[in-house]
Amino acid sequence: MGRQIAFVLALWKTNLLSAMEYRVSFLTQMAGMMLNNAIYFVFWIIFFARFEEVNGWDLVDMLFLFGVVATGFGVGTYLFGNAVRLSLLIASGQMDYYLSLPRPVLLHALASRSNASSAGDCAYGLLSFGAAVYFAGAFDILMLLRFGLGCLAAVTVLISFLVLVQSLTFWIGNTNLLTSNAFNAIVTFSLYPITLFDGTAKLLLFTLIPAAFIGALPAEFVRRFDLAQLAQICAGSAIFLFLATFVFYRGLRRYESGSAIQVRT
Amino acid sequence: MPAVSVRDLRKTFQLKQKAAGLRGSLRALWRPSFQELDAVRGISFNMDEGELLGFIGPNGAGKSTTIKILTGILHPSSGEAEVLGRVPWRQRQELAFQIGSVFGQRPQLWYHLPAVDTFYLFGKIYELDDRKLKGRIAFLAEAFEIEELLETPVRKLSLGQRMRCEVAASLLHRPRVLLLDEPSIGLDVVAKQRLRMTIQRMNDLEGVGVLLTSHDAGDIEALCRRVIIINDGEIVYRDKVSALRRRYLTVKTVDVRYNEQLPPDFALPGVEMVKVGRYGAKMRFDTRVTPVGPVIGGLAAAGSLADVTVSEPSLEEVIGAIYGQAESKDG
Repeated sequence: MGRQIAFVLALWKTNLLSAMEYRVSFLTQMAGMMLNNAIYFVFWIIFFARFEEVNGWDLVDMLFLFGVVATGFGVGTYLFGNAVRLSLLIASGQMDYYLSLPRPVLLHALASRSNASSAGDCAYGLLSFGAAVYFAGAFDILMLLRFGLGCLAAVTVLISFLVLVQSLTFWIGNTNLLTSNAFNAIVTFSLYPITLFDGTAKLLLFTLIPAAFIGALPAEFVRRFDLAQLAQICAGSAIFLFLATFVFYRGLRRYESGSAIQVRT
Repeated sequence: MPAVSVRDLRKTFQLKQKAAGLRGSLRALWRPSFQELDAVRGISFNMDEGELLGFIGPNGAGKSTTIKILTGILHPSSGEAEVLGRVPWRQRQELAFQIGSVFGQRPQLWYHLPAVDTFYLFGKIYELDDRKLKGRIAFLAEAFEIEELLETPVRKLSLGQRMRCEVAASLLHRPRVLLLDEPSIGLDVVAKQRLRMTIQRMNDLEGVGVLLTSHDAGDIEALCRRVIIINDGEIVYRDKVSALRRRYLTVKTVDVRYNEQLPPDFALPGVEMVKVGRYGAKMRFDTRVTPVGPVIGGLAAAGSLADVTVSEPSLEEVIGAIYGQAESKDG
């Protein structure tokens, strides 16, 4: 375990060194993503200026929600940047590199890239959480721990979901469009109050598009402790992590490599 | 026990077939059809520890597929293979600590970083002690003459420089077997020679066995004592490189020039005239059919000789002839 941690830390360090080769690009992308998120949140400020709450959710809840989701997306796609490119790696034969080295293929592939813009998501998420705490007027160390746990769950479910969708590449070939649609769906649905949905729609958000585990559920848990929610978060993360790992490694047996000329960036 | 042992190895890929144009695309969408491609058809061979074995063949012959099976990247359709006593596709991680691999078309060095940063990352991947890793990098840097290149971003290195760094990276963990797939692809003559020298040097110094695939016969001639030629997924020749030359270098080409004009119907028994000019001729004969003595005697008797050059076919031509034989047998 210690050796795997040392290996992943070394990968992340190498990613950082690679990003620092293009400092201006890194900072520009980071600032751009923060601005993008802020503009999106303006919609909710305008909305809650007219309506005090929507199905029990107010502006402070939305700040918590954006805090968890943006931090989760930011941390997830920064530390496991290839989670959004996995289908490309599989379809173009780029898994060869990871298969020829003595490390777990999935972990190695996911952690071998960092997205600069994700650092902007992460910074925005922390600012949003800070604002939520300020406006809620209540803060203790346990809330900080809950925020850490909520973000960890968001990262786990998001990355697992992306791995699951893109593992289909092993069976059906190119899944670029499917990946793009799945990514947009999970981003969109994770940024709405869960109370807007019920019945089948709510069920879908806990299963097919598990946005509830990335947004509403951890955000509610961060604001106030609830044992049932904690159990749901832990179970959801464990199930999606297991499914993603299982499906990926089953698919890997069907991997057919490729002969395209490649570059490691 | 051989370092690499392969028995009746086969790999079949399923290729989707589609007719040209929109109609073909629509038909493939509705009713896709697949064709099976036998990339490797029951090959068997052994490689000893510390051996430099050449594995050559034209594009699409099955070289890279075989190497990918031996590194654990691909699962075979059937057959057996062991590398250092391990089955690659079942014991991939364990085996990867013992072998190194370089794929000419798939760099492992991080493009935007200096090679030394990838070397340190590989140190963690292969669980090397930091102090020993530093010593190993210094040793390889000297052996591969890359001391000056280590801190330059890989994107700014020439192809030859980069490839020497790639091979050095694959040797950081002291592998017992090195699988090199087209390492000289795209290199100029000088870069190829330097790369060959460094591979030979590491074989001499550390006894690392090398399975080298290439479609450049020069790589094999310079490095390997034994060669396996593969074509269309099957082994068509296996023996020592020297035996290959002896067996197939019986055809001699003679260029002859005279001080006086030749008759237009100039000919010698058992010799094929390729071209006959006014003062010279180019001809070819097989020493197994026509002995050298009478040919040279006939040339001397034909007039006052100005110059004679007798040449053998290059290894490239020999291999080309072997491919040709294999294809005509199939046909």
